[in-house]
Amino acid sequence: MLEIKKKYVIPGDVIVEGNYKPLMNVIKKENSIISTRIGIAESSKDGIRVIPLSGIYIPRINDIVIGKIIDNSSLSWEVDINSCFSAHLPAQDVFGRDFSPARDDMKKRFAPGDLLTARIIAFDRTRDPMLSIQERDLGKILHGEFLKISSTRVPRLIGKRGSMIQTIEQATQTKILIGQNGILVVSGQNHEGMNLAFQAIKMVEDEAHTSNLTQKVKDLLNVQDESPQKEGDNTTVGKEGYINNNENNSETNDIETNNNTSEITISKGESS
Amino acid sequence: MNETILIDESGKRTDGRSIDELREIKLTIGVLKKANGSAFIEFGKNKIIVAVYGPREVHPKHMAQPDKCVLRCRYHMSPFSTDTRKNPAPSRREIEISKVIREALEPAVVLEDYPRAAIDIFVEVLQADGGSRCAGITAASVALADAGINMRDLVAACAAGKINNKIALDINDVEDKEGSADMPVAYLPNLEQITLLQLDGILNKSQFTECLEKALQGCKMVYEIQRKALMEKYFGNDLSLDDENTEEIKE
Amino acid sequence: MSLSRKSPIILEYLRKRQMLDLLTTGKRLDGRNLDELRKLEIDFDVIKKADGSAQVKLGNSEVIAGIKVETGEPFEGLEHKGALIVTAEVLPTASPFIEPGPPDEDTIELARVVDRGIRESEMVDLEKLVLIHGKIVYTIFVDCSIINADGNLFDATSYAVISALTSCKLPIFEIQDDVVINTGNKKDPPITTLPVSITAIKIGDTILLDPTSEEESCMEARITITTNSNGEYTAIQKGSTGSFTLDQIKYVADIARNKGEQIREKIKELMKS
Repeated sequence: MLEIKKKYVIPGDVIVEGNYKPLMNVIKKENSIISTRIGIAESSKDGIRVIPLSGIYIPRINDIVIGKIIDNSSLSWEVDINSCFSAHLPAQDVFGRDFSPARDDMKKRFAPGDLLTARIIAFDRTRDPMLSIQERDLGKILHGEFLKISSTRVPRLIGKRGSMIQTIEQATQTKILIGQNGILVVSGQNHEGMNLAFQAIKMVEDEAHTSNLTQKVKDLLNVQDESPQKEGDNTTVGKEGYINNNENNSETNDIETNNNTSEITISKGESS
Repeated sequence: MNETILIDESGKRTDGRSIDELREIKLTIGVLKKANGSAFIEFGKNKIIVAVYGPREVHPKHMAQPDKCVLRCRYHMSPFSTDTRKNPAPSRREIEISKVIREALEPAVVLEDYPRAAIDIFVEVLQADGGSRCAGITAASVALADAGINMRDLVAACAAGKINNKIALDINDVEDKEGSADMPVAYLPNLEQITLLQLDGILNKSQFTECLEKALQGCKMVYEIQRKALMEKYFGNDLSLDDENTEEIKE
Repeated sequence: MSLSRKSPIILEYLRKRQMLDLLTTGKRLDGRNLDELRKLEIDFDVIKKADGSAQVKLGNSEVIAGIKVETGEPFEGLEHKGALIVTAEVLPTASPFIEPGPPDEDTIELARVVDRGIRESEMVDLEKLVLIHGKIVYTIFVDCSIINADGNLFDATSYAVISALTSCKLPIFEIQDDVVINTGNKKDPPITTLPVSITAIKIGDTILLDPTSEEESCMEARITITTNSNGEYTAIQKGSTGSFTLDQIKYVADIARNKGEQIREKIKELMKS
């Protein structure tokens, strides 16, 4: 199969003609693969996809998200996950199987406005997404500053095997929790570091598609050019979840979603 | 018939255009921070702002459809947009135009990708000139793309009409009132599909074909403007993908 | 706000399959060819209290149009013309899916498209209906009630309007001492042309004319094209959420002239008898 040169596309653009498999954010019409989004078209051995540059977060099973408690019923909390569907966190997930609405006070665990990291464990066309915090490092977030970016920028912010986010965290002495829904929580030792981290994140968001972004971020952060690779080390919850889930969830979702390409493809080549 | 002179001896129209010329179009994308997608279009004297919200939850919930998204559209003219004040309550004309705009855009949107959700399109005419529905469709289409909603194609819209017995592109306000026919058309330029077609006025058989084909030419010109605006907004001047983005995936 | 909705009619899967299979052979559920119209029946002057009326049956679709003529002020910017107002209401009698209440967007579109077809063709020479320029003119109301809905309400309503208009008698008003007097005499309306609309729908890649409501429930796109007595195009409305190619539109535009002329002759013939 021929490899296609990457290119910028808008909806309706014919990316390529021929017998290619449509992967993400593309449709096949007769013999043409057509983009449905503004973004960067690329090919892989599996087929053609477009990495979008705009759009809201669409939930996918196994994603780690950061959500905000909005309300609760007697059996679950309603959680805003920055999407067109609000998610549900069942009380049983928090209190255990012997949860009793009469005995356990849900408001004591989560109140409206609380932020939490959670994993999406169920979602399909008929049901709203279901969350779980039954894992180490998931649950209520108590410290840090809240930040929202477009979820389409999350893979870029993480970078290849976490390279981008590690660069930012190390240079600014901060910890950055990343939800795949574009919600971030940044915590750090001092104001300067926090501010610098915000600037770097903003730069990634604004210039996600531009060339040489890693170098620009390093210049901003005043980082000497040495490879920050320590794979798997020093990763935060959201990130780790992100990396894990990329390996196994590509077939689990029946809804054509917002892009969730692996960081390996989106930030190709930046740390080589 | 004592028709007003709309084309002079040198072939110029009242606003100085030739019969094949569009009015000046300025299209700005991403003008509203809160909206998922937005666009502002100046199409001749039209000034129209479009906001796209969604996909988002449907309220009331029973309006949701289990297998696809609900597309909702409101076309509205501000009271100060016209020569005499327009009553702000939606008129029958606005209700009909809301419907034809929605139906012109709907073939382009991949509604199946957002089951149980809604996409809202608000088209507000701040200043009205002829052809506001076409300008509205043109802006709404790029606002949908800006919102990152899956679309099969953009939708470009433009009218053609008959003035002083000649077929002319992009009818303005005066020509709409004084001329003898107006045909607004919306078009999916890559898929070659017509999604809006209306006609007011009298055209014979050959004029009909000429008018429709001229309007499609206009749609293609409008499409180039949409494309340029989107490209500039998203990719700026950085139109060459360098190593970082262009490296092929090795197998 | 306009929003996407499902067709209220859900066709049984087997019947839909049967319809689609038939379409590939160029036939339809009711035995018609793709470009064949349903039987058109018109009764004139069915409402004696009206200044003109007509009851149209197009297949099972049934519309009554009634005309009331009054005097009033002209429209702004049209001081030299009488006023013509066409309205339409789909009555709750028409189908189980209609509820009484303010008109929905489909009904508003229907009324406006029918009105546009009449107005843009200049069927009635409104300049002949002025009593005092800029002050008092004839105002003609054509109100349509759809009493039975089985598809193609655009054409059925449009035929009812032109039938009622051509057969109506205008009361003769006069101005005496600045007061409008109804002389009690009647005259024929100044009719210049007969605009006839033809509606086609697209199912898959098949174009069919004069759809029933079952066929409409499966349509992707609809188009209504109106032509006048000279075979000129006077109004078009594309509807529904699908699209047409240029060739499909040219095909319907051609057929609308031919079929329009047939309907025009038919209406004239029915009027004489």
